[in-house]
Amino acid sequence: MSKLLPKKTGLIFFPAFDWAISPTHPEREERLLYTRDQIFEEGIMDLPQIEEYSPSLALIHDLARTHFCVPRVEDQITEAHLIAAGAAILLADKIVQGEIKNGFALVRPPGHHAMRVVHGNRGFCNINNEAIMVEYLRARHKIKRIAIIDTDVHHGDGTQDIFWHDPDVLFISFHQDGRTLYPGTGFTYELGGPRAYARTINIPLPPGTTDDSLLYVVDNLILPVLADFKPDFIVNSAGQDNHYTDPLGSMRITAQGYAKLTEKLRPDLAVLEGGYAIETALPYVNMSIILALAGLDYSGVKEPDYLPGRFKETPEHKDQVRRIVQELRQRWETRDNAPIEKRDVNGNYYQRKKHIFYDTDYIEENQLEKLRLCDCCPGYLIIDTKANLGFNRPATALCISVPAAACPKCRAEAGDVFQQSKKTSQYRNVYLQDKHSDTFYGYDCEKSREWLTEGR
Amino acid sequence: MYVGVDVGGTYTDAVLLKNNRVRAMAKIPTRENLLSSLLESIDTILKDADKKEIKRIVFSTTIITNMIAGHKYDQVELLLIPGPGLTHDYYKIKPYVHIISGAVDYRGRVTARLDKQEIDAALSKIAAGGCNKVGVIGKFSPRNTSQEKRVEAIIKEKYPDWQVELGSRVGGKLNFPRRAETTYLTCATRQPYRAFLDSVQQALAEREINADVFILKADGGTLPLKGSEELPVETIFSGPAASTLGVQALTPPGETSVVVDIGGTTTDLALILSGKPLLSAKGARVRDQLTQVRALAVKSVPVGGDSVLELDGNKIIIRSERQGQAYCLGGPVPTPTDALRVLGLTSLGDQDRAAEAMGILGKALGREIKDIAARVIDQVVENISAEIEKMFWEWEQEPAYRVWEVLHKHKEKPRLVVGVGGGAAGFVNKVADRLGCSPYIPQYAAVANAIGAAVARPTMQVSLRADTEQGYYIIQEEGQQEKIKDRNFNERMALDLAKESLIKRAAKYGLEVDPDEIEVASQEVFNMIRDWHTSGRLFDVTVQTPRGITGRVGDGGDIDV
Repeated sequence: MSKLLPKKTGLIFFPAFDWAISPTHPEREERLLYTRDQIFEEGIMDLPQIEEYSPSLALIHDLARTHFCVPRVEDQITEAHLIAAGAAILLADKIVQGEIKNGFALVRPPGHHAMRVVHGNRGFCNINNEAIMVEYLRARHKIKRIAIIDTDVHHGDGTQDIFWHDPDVLFISFHQDGRTLYPGTGFTYELGGPRAYARTINIPLPPGTTDDSLLYVVDNLILPVLADFKPDFIVNSAGQDNHYTDPLGSMRITAQGYAKLTEKLRPDLAVLEGGYAIETALPYVNMSIILALAGLDYSGVKEPDYLPGRFKETPEHKDQVRRIVQELRQRWETRDNAPIEKRDVNGNYYQRKKHIFYDTDYIEENQLEKLRLCDCCPGYLIIDTKANLGFNRPATALCISVPAAACPKCRAEAGDVFQQSKKTSQYRNVYLQDKHSDTFYGYDCEKSREWLTEGR
Repeated sequence: MYVGVDVGGTYTDAVLLKNNRVRAMAKIPTRENLLSSLLESIDTILKDADKKEIKRIVFSTTIITNMIAGHKYDQVELLLIPGPGLTHDYYKIKPYVHIISGAVDYRGRVTARLDKQEIDAALSKIAAGGCNKVGVIGKFSPRNTSQEKRVEAIIKEKYPDWQVELGSRVGGKLNFPRRAETTYLTCATRQPYRAFLDSVQQALAEREINADVFILKADGGTLPLKGSEELPVETIFSGPAASTLGVQALTPPGETSVVVDIGGTTTDLALILSGKPLLSAKGARVRDQLTQVRALAVKSVPVGGDSVLELDGNKIIIRSERQGQAYCLGGPVPTPTDALRVLGLTSLGDQDRAAEAMGILGKALGREIKDIAARVIDQVVENISAEIEKMFWEWEQEPAYRVWEVLHKHKEKPRLVVGVGGGAAGFVNKVADRLGCSPYIPQYAAVANAIGAAVARPTMQVSLRADTEQGYYIIQEEGQQEKIKDRNFNERMALDLAKESLIKRAAKYGLEVDPDEIEVASQEVFNMIRDWHTSGRLFDVTVQTPRGITGRVGDGGDIDV
């Protein structure tokens, strides 16, 4: 037998040096400049353990599989978004095909605050790179069980929203406590829909948390849950704003801490999210994540101003983290016998109301989300959305999402809802996302115009 | 009149050009003494020429390649200042590396100090080993040369006669390991290279040749002989560059072609895209290590006219070595040249012996002689064509860091497959066929390399980096750091400064540069925003003298294929 070469770590570095939300915005051209300098100067791309790929564009169809962009996908994105999502998809393809052992999409713009329905930009995100990649993996490669670990300092509320009802996607986010930071969510009681209970796990950490407590959470909660869930593919939403120099967050994680975290999580694919200490954190944190993924010695990566033992937590702080871990371990243990609250059920549907604020674009959105409770399948989802785009311009839409595993009855029912809603004058747009046939329809009620995108 | 000489591994080729016409040419076997081969080839082509009319001589030699491959140089030790980052174990694998404290970051700020005692100790160790050639290389040293320079001063104070090379002067681009390798090679080859240049000059003087003498570099540009002393490694791999420029001179302008140079056991491939030779994205690879030497993208495929053919079961294997000439020319084993002879694609050698060679393979396979020959040719053509396709693919896959670049991904198809070098021309038609291109074998294909040398132009680059927040700029090639005095320093001023430096630097080498002809190779500006305000700007500008050739040769420019 021929000797097999050890597989490499795939890297797509897409700093989008010609793209910014606005000239002075944290999400601007300069963000990955010093990271580039660092990884180029270190000769990272020349290492035999690293393979650099050039990004390609995601298809509009790939976006329509995950999002309801109102009114059209093209209205909510720029080419940079297609490239960032396309990079994650390309690396995922290479991993599934066995060409590389793991990968890191070091790309911008980020995505984890983008929810299923998209009226604009929130938390610097328009579309959710990881979610689009996960839905692609399921549609194209029939990968069933996927875990997403969000290690950004902000709660990954967009990813949570998209997989809230999905029992096959385990979403774990640790972040700085929502009472102290945007987006103000991600509490321990946010655990997912009735059919996916505890497949959403939120770990709100008190400000000032250091490497020690973070790695405690990984060892005592995240790794045991992953071991139980047995995912076929692990994604890391790799935000770097837990770093002790980040201007937006207040945590105290070091480059070494990020390296150890990555080494323990062993993600198949890491995708860059936030992180805005562009000089003091990003060059070092990105290096340590790359080295950890490639199985290389990262012990030499050190911020110039860091000395071991610089950060210490109080005993109270440590206790607080331990209590959160204990509580969530219990939730996880009882995940399969959680009762549905009667007051949330309306006829055949489980429903919840959501108010969503788009901080970047100043849009207010109200949603009524209804899950069809079906005994044979996960059931389809209906989202009734109304957004105020400012200047009294409302955007109304009805979004119907049918999972790939939906039963024939649910699929027919969802089709009926779509056809009937087209006739009412209640919504400006109506959408049907049929993941079973990988076909996505949109309808403009005012112009009586329908469009669709189909799988290849 | 221009003279071009390419001293290759096997042959030394020379041409004399007058008004872009070939007036004389020579091809002689290269002997161990490169200088004598070089002089013999010049003497041959200048036999009937008036030496006073010669304006320029350009050489391409394998001198550096030979020095490195044969390890014919003195011991070199490196002092590295890697600071934090990749583990130092990675550099310590090499026995000649000494790690010292100190660090500079990506903005050129000093983040850790040098340690004088540590440096003294390392120098004593080097001195005790009898070495007097030292390279000093710091991570991010092109952004701040002060630590490298300080170490140099310490060395010069204690050991004034040592040869010291600084990484920031040799490799100004961002890539520390490649900079270290380039510095090592520079340090190792400078003295013997200088000796070679001196003897070339002396020999030319003896012949009363007073032309300007240049040496060809890996990127297809030239440097004046004297100036090339500073960066001898840049002259490595100039042979393939010579062939590529030769094809550029022998084909119409703006053409996209594949250059195929089929030799005895290797085939060299290069690409000319819309009339411009493609540069390697990564720099030349020497001793299996990447360097910062700018080089054309050249690929060597281990297959040639004299490659040994063997049977492995039912399969014909093309080995990467040769055991002498082709069987039809009296060699011991079957080769691809024999297959060409059998099919009438070459007139080399003896037809009967060629058939015999194919018979050796055919008997075991129970196939007709012509069948076997066709199979051999197919296999060689497939190997070469697959590599050409891969080169194009790799070029298309080169990473892009801007939205604009991703949306305007390069994509181009070759139109011509140009055969040079004179060996195994029979394959060129087949390769062109397989790739859907037209084959072309120029009139002077056998000496295209020497023509390439003759038409090569001097090239020089200067890179400027300015950091207005810290208030300094640095000319990478000179290693000099200056204060920015103007508070309104802008992009145009950065560009003007770079151009000015290029003109000054060129003058130092005896080159005249027309300011209007200067090309901008790359240009980057970043606004630095701190707390929502612009705190400064970063400028990175690289300017260069125009790339290209002095003219087209013979019928180049009006071929009809």
